[in-house]
Amino acid sequence: MKVQVNDVHMEFPQGTSVIDAIFAAGYDVPYFCSQEYMSPVGACRMCLARIGAPRKDKQGDWILDEGTGEPKIFYFPNMMATCTTQVMEGMVVDTLSEDVKRVQNGMVEFTLINHPLDCPVCDKGGACELQDRSYEYGTGVSRFEFDKRHQEKHHPLSELITLDRERCIHCKRCVRYFEEVPGDGVLDFIERGGHTYIGTLDPGLPSNFTGNITDICPVGALLDTTSRFRGRNWEYQHTRTTGMDDASGSAILVDGRTGRIERVKAALNPDVNKTWIDDGTRFGHEYVDAPDRLETPLLRVGGELKAVSWEEAAAFIKDRLAGLSGKDLGIAIRADATLEEGVAAKALAEALGTGQLDHAPRPAASVIPAQDPATFTDLATADGILVVGDVTEDVPIADLRIKDAMRGVTPPELMAHGVPIADLRLKEHPVLRRGILTVAAPYRVDLMKHAGQAVTYPVGGEAALFGALTKIAEAGDGQATEERAAEEQAGLDDGERAALGMPYRDAAALVTRLKGAERAVVVYGGFVLATKAAADAAAAFAKAVQAKVMILGPMANSYGLELLNVGPSHERYAYPGMLGEARALILSNLDPAQDPDVRQVLEQKDLLVVHDSFLTETAAMADVVLPARSVFEKDGTTVNLEGRFLGVHAAPVESGESEDFTGLVGALGEALGQRLEGRSVRSARRVLRKRFELDPAELPPAGRLVRPKGRRTARVAIRSQEASEGNLLVTPSMVRVEYLSRNPHLEALTGGPRLRMRSDDAAMQGVAEGDAVKLRVGGVLRRAVVRIDDGLPPGLMLLPCLPDQPVGLARADLTTLAREERELEVAG
Amino acid sequence: MSDVTGSSQDLADTRPITSRHDPRYEVVMYRHVGVEGAHTLDYYRSHGGYEAARKALTEMSPSQVIDEVKASKLRGRGGAGFPTGVKWSFMPPVDGRQRLLVVNADESEPGSFKDRYIMEDDPHQLIEGMIIGCHAIQATKGMVYIRGEYVKGYERLLGAVREARQAGILGKDVLGSDIEVDITVHRGAGAYICGEETALMNSLEGLRGNPRLKPPFPAQAGVYGLPTTINNVTTMTSVVHIITRGADWFASMGTEDSKGTKLYQISGPVERPGVYELPMGATFRELIYDLAGGPREPAKGFFPGGSSTPPLPWKDEYLDLTMTYDAMAKAGSMLGTGGVIVIPKEKDIVSAMYNVVRFYAHESCGKCTPCREGIATWLPKMYQKLLAGLGTREDLTLMEDMVRNTRGTAFCPLADACAMPVQASFKWFRDEYEYIVDNGRPMYTKSDWWQA
Repeated sequence: MKVQVNDVHMEFPQGTSVIDAIFAAGYDVPYFCSQEYMSPVGACRMCLARIGAPRKDKQGDWILDEGTGEPKIFYFPNMMATCTTQVMEGMVVDTLSEDVKRVQNGMVEFTLINHPLDCPVCDKGGACELQDRSYEYGTGVSRFEFDKRHQEKHHPLSELITLDRERCIHCKRCVRYFEEVPGDGVLDFIERGGHTYIGTLDPGLPSNFTGNITDICPVGALLDTTSRFRGRNWEYQHTRTTGMDDASGSAILVDGRTGRIERVKAALNPDVNKTWIDDGTRFGHEYVDAPDRLETPLLRVGGELKAVSWEEAAAFIKDRLAGLSGKDLGIAIRADATLEEGVAAKALAEALGTGQLDHAPRPAASVIPAQDPATFTDLATADGILVVGDVTEDVPIADLRIKDAMRGVTPPELMAHGVPIADLRLKEHPVLRRGILTVAAPYRVDLMKHAGQAVTYPVGGEAALFGALTKIAEAGDGQATEERAAEEQAGLDDGERAALGMPYRDAAALVTRLKGAERAVVVYGGFVLATKAAADAAAAFAKAVQAKVMILGPMANSYGLELLNVGPSHERYAYPGMLGEARALILSNLDPAQDPDVRQVLEQKDLLVVHDSFLTETAAMADVVLPARSVFEKDGTTVNLEGRFLGVHAAPVESGESEDFTGLVGALGEALGQRLEGRSVRSARRVLRKRFELDPAELPPAGRLVRPKGRRTARVAIRSQEASEGNLLVTPSMVRVEYLSRNPHLEALTGGPRLRMRSDDAAMQGVAEGDAVKLRVGGVLRRAVVRIDDGLPPGLMLLPCLPDQPVGLARADLTTLAREERELEVAG
Repeated sequence: MSDVTGSSQDLADTRPITSRHDPRYEVVMYRHVGVEGAHTLDYYRSHGGYEAARKALTEMSPSQVIDEVKASKLRGRGGAGFPTGVKWSFMPPVDGRQRLLVVNADESEPGSFKDRYIMEDDPHQLIEGMIIGCHAIQATKGMVYIRGEYVKGYERLLGAVREARQAGILGKDVLGSDIEVDITVHRGAGAYICGEETALMNSLEGLRGNPRLKPPFPAQAGVYGLPTTINNVTTMTSVVHIITRGADWFASMGTEDSKGTKLYQISGPVERPGVYELPMGATFRELIYDLAGGPREPAKGFFPGGSSTPPLPWKDEYLDLTMTYDAMAKAGSMLGTGGVIVIPKEKDIVSAMYNVVRFYAHESCGKCTPCREGIATWLPKMYQKLLAGLGTREDLTLMEDMVRNTRGTAFCPLADACAMPVQASFKWFRDEYEYIVDNGRPMYTKSDWWQA
């Protein structure tokens, strides 16, 4: 449709909003209530413009202007809100005339009359949309001389978000966000008229995605409590990088000042996380500046760890290694290490001649789908989805992309100015197409409340579930499967039928639905990857229903490190097996000594080198401790679960002499007198360039999706977990438990990692809701807070994972369960 | 032409009926209001009740009913005056989804109280109108949204609905047809904004009573996204008589643009305030003087149709205008609901307008900036300043400027409904505003008004 904005003539597809036409034409209007990826509502009345369009007469011809002979422009009687008006053929938009300016000025004036002049003390100052719009469209002098409305000024909406009700300009972005994006309608307006304020029904904000409202609030009403009063916006150094909290590869913006990280915000990646990040990623940065960060290498001298230089530490390691065969050395890095660090680890392993190399946690099965890997866009446009696991904790952004699919609106076409500001396809109070989603898990997970079908299958029953479903899928065409009598079906025996966790009819309906879908996606994570049998069964099922597969790997770069084949030469050298096999160990960001039995094994080692940011249990017993950079301090490359290569960029953080693993290898290489590949990020990138035919230094901000060509080197599997036995399920976790005690705000949400158990089990153990306890799980000594959940199957408990205690079934030794006296500050 | 009972017919007189003095005119909607026991089903039936519905359901198709209402040229009685038959024809073709007829009984416009007595004293007339309306738009469900403050009206209406159900007048196979209709009555909770049709629908759904975007219109996506038609109470009662006596009868009353019989209200210091049924085309003079007995004390102005309509000065040229949509538009005001409010001379206009503004300020829903901040916050404070004797001439300019910024900029017409009367008060009574700022006290200081 041809549209004229002031003096610019352009064409736009039908359905485009006028405000997007205005911005695409290079002009602008102020707005507060519109927000990318959310419904336009026309509430703030800032975007008003004078609009006219030609009309057709009853015969269907344009009514012509008598003077010019051109179609006559009929102007709407009132100014129109451009965010909720569609373009029309021949529309004329005026945003520059005096009338429009008067109205814009008037709206700014109205918006400011009750807004407190808090700028000097408001965290939003300098990055505030109201400040900017007032400066651009206001008069600068207030005519309002009365008392402004008074409301609560620092209401803690949760431990993470502070609400100042006076500053709210009632744009409703936060209310609409919760309703439309995560679908948890936890926030709303209360009262009416000039008394309206934002609030919740019950205390707290029960959602994994609350922090995004602090990004989208145009003023300083909703603020990130972790960064409250920590700096002025123009003082922050902004670093756009990739979140390394989970395998999503979400784009984040890290705000730092005076060598500290004060705040993490979402950044835009339309193909991955849009403009949203989960709360674990956003609020879990405080550990980076914890006072007990390791800043220098430490060497054990006379039984005590002493600060030394990198050279001294490297020289010591070299000397110790001299007495050993290279193949006695084990090297293990955490699965959120960058590709460059992976290159460095491989180079070191090769140089020393050892096959004992691994990254951890690494599940029993591959995290790279053998065929048809799904992208987030595939997930967001799917018309049939099966999720096995807890995606809201595992890779939270996938939960939001699934809800995109349920909303039924395809991702918007990017315009000249980026993501459309007012996408008129998005409506308030969206009705989700629940019918396309099935969520299956061994316990009740959050996403089930949005799913059309929720299935709770027996614990450890992933392989059996997929096996049974595959049999149904292969039994015949979808239609007939539903109608034929159960006995004739697929030949399922009683065990297989029980494994379904649902009536046969429902399973058949699920299979029919997925087969009938044009863009089906099957999503699964740690529970399925824990055994090769389950992973193979899942892949077979996806193939049988012709669905794409999205695998949720355990950590940020699981996909990349597997692709790079940072793995052992033999199964017995895989981590944690290498802890027993090797005589010397270099462990990066892993803490196996949390298991007292493993600690005993480690005490026998000839050399234990620990590379970490903190003095963990393993570091505390090591011979050499080397300070590690956090994920915010590295330059590098990571690969998310889609196979998308994304850049990781270092924020300016003061962390003493910390190095990432390339720095460690560089220092060791110097001591050994060898120029190792991966001795620096730059040298590692030469390897990556050759291996993947892309330049990590030149990756676009949205990353680059790479489909692995040709055969990959066969991955060496670790021993499959014995999945059938266990009384405790280690579950995925949005917050990183290993850093929770150093992230006080996140910790205050629950008091600590939650040990979920039934009330009868708790009573038997003599613990109650809210008790701080310790418990040995699979040997590892865990600390947690008890949470009663009578929805759990009898005898089952749940505990979130650690890098050294990955997702899957485990055995908790209940004789070790004991209450602890701890100072807990828990949110209400 | 059907029988008009009781009155002498001048068959040669085809002039439109535009006055209650016309012997051809007969009150139909308010016949039973004020009669003891008139609200019962027995009474209603013994006075010809439900015959129109029976006729519509068994002898007329839905489109025939719509055509009849179109031909009558009935315009909605809720204030907007949209042609009812045309509105009904906006409903989409039947597609299996539930269709709804919603009756707007929120009646919160100051100066309007005509719907109240229908629901209190003649609820079956409304029910009958709804049955006919449901048949016309092929809806099986009617919902009445009645303002929470009308407790007696709610009880009477609910009682009538129950009576109707028991008698088989609501439910399946209504009145010997194969049509199904049932009615639910939903109470509001004290919000004028819920008389706005889209806010009403949100309120019915249990959401905040904030208005919605249009398009989509209710016929396309209404309550719960279903095809919905919304009409005022007395639009529905008018339909009963249109079916009984025919479209021609209805159109024989009124002017070219405003047809039929309508309920007018009059309040303020007149001898006999109340609701009067009149043919459209009657003048203000007839209502105020002939029927209501004239003002009890000198008057200086009047609201023609509720507090949302710009007031007009007390002059012959206005008093002799017909109470019609067109005439009011030409005079720079609106007919609205026809709720005339007489403004006595001795009531200071600044104080009177403050009273009006306070109402809109209290009722503003808070969704949009100009209404929430301008109408609900700033404007009342300006009036308070004037009435406290602290106003200046600059304040008057500021008020006019501020009110101008709320015209046509808000999300829904509530802001205009406040702004236009304020602007008219400045136009016709600016001397009083100037007096109060120049002298620090109102021009008229009589203080024994019920609302000071």
